[in-house]
Amino acid sequence: MTSRLAAVCLAFAAGFGVVSTTTAAPQTFNTALPVAEDEFVFREQFVYRKATDDPSPADRELQVLGGASVLGYGVTGDLAVFGVLPYLDKELDVTTPGGRVTRNTSGIADARLFGRYTVYKDNAPGRTFRIAPFLGVEMPTGDDNDRDNLGRLPAPLQLGSGSWDGFGGIMLTYQTLDFQIDAQASYTLNTEANNFEFGDEARLDTSLQYRVWPQELDAGAPGFLYAVLEGNFLFTDNNEMNGVKDPNSGGTSFFLSPGLQYVTKRWIIEGIVQLPVSQDLNGLALEDDFIVRAGFRINF
Amino acid sequence: MTSIARPVTAFHALLVALMLGFLIPLSATGAEDQAVYTLQADGLACPFCAYGIEKQLARIDGVKSVETDVKSGTVIITMKPGATLHEADANRAVEAAGFSMGDFRKEDDET
Repeated sequence: MTSRLAAVCLAFAAGFGVVSTTTAAPQTFNTALPVAEDEFVFREQFVYRKATDDPSPADRELQVLGGASVLGYGVTGDLAVFGVLPYLDKELDVTTPGGRVTRNTSGIADARLFGRYTVYKDNAPGRTFRIAPFLGVEMPTGDDNDRDNLGRLPAPLQLGSGSWDGFGGIMLTYQTLDFQIDAQASYTLNTEANNFEFGDEARLDTSLQYRVWPQELDAGAPGFLYAVLEGNFLFTDNNEMNGVKDPNSGGTSFFLSPGLQYVTKRWIIEGIVQLPVSQDLNGLALEDDFIVRAGFRINF
Repeated sequence: MTSIARPVTAFHALLVALMLGFLIPLSATGAEDQAVYTLQADGLACPFCAYGIEKQLARIDGVKSVETDVKSGTVIITMKPGATLHEADANRAVEAAGFSMGDFRKEDDET
């Protein structure tokens, strides 16, 4: 159950983190990636997630190691399309009546396609404010029927959901020469596959990026170093199996994430640690310890 | 030895004279026709965004080089000899990069 939430969280993190719009852009969500007309942006983000806070006697330990490749293309100056392809390696250790067992899987997870359109733009010297709704779909490209010697893996541990899921939201960005603030509200509508349906998810994400170097701008600086603080509020509904809600899934959680980002004209390197400040999960859902993200971005 | 060296020296002198005769006027002509324009890119606030503007402007026919000053938001466009940058083309390029063009002018002090 927890793994399901974990999978959802990761997919979200990998998917939306892959969606970004204007400049430095957030790291835990991607709806703000800046792309000029007829240009490409590529982001590769590596993710390590650990969840071991198990309220159940099963003493579950979940580790997810993976990455997400994001390619964005500017159709016009205001319209951009993105594709996100995650690769995940999931491992779940759990205590069973027969002893401690490890179940794992790895491979391509569910890919995401989405478009973002800037409906409002207020540009002035040294600053910009933008509002951009986005809409997309998560496709069942990941294996949703993987098995090990214990049988079929539980749905949350599968790489894919097997279902076509839609998501959408709105992205706000305010950027100056000194700092940038991004905020995103989004909703993912999950559908059923294999008699299983992940709970819908609502998110509110914010990001503050503050330039710490150079403190004074001059023409000689090769790039900007930003200190980053991001917050992610997630509400996930219960999963359903055969139409019955799983009481040990879903809930609310809030992550606070410090990080760094070095920004040049052609590339960006970035890293962030997502720390759970509050996790009010349903029943015996597994709670996160932390999520680490690190990667790079290039313009071409 | 000497009789061989003298013709070579004379040839070199002729070569230098020819080079000076051709290159100096060519250089002067290039400087005269190499127009420089400056525009204000409103909304520009980080280096990563500057790249988009520079690529869009560089696609315009006749553009030789583009330099961006993120602090002031100004973009300096140097044209190839004889080329002209039209304001409408510059505006189109800045919009395509996702920004807005403010002041646009041709610099008087051409290089």
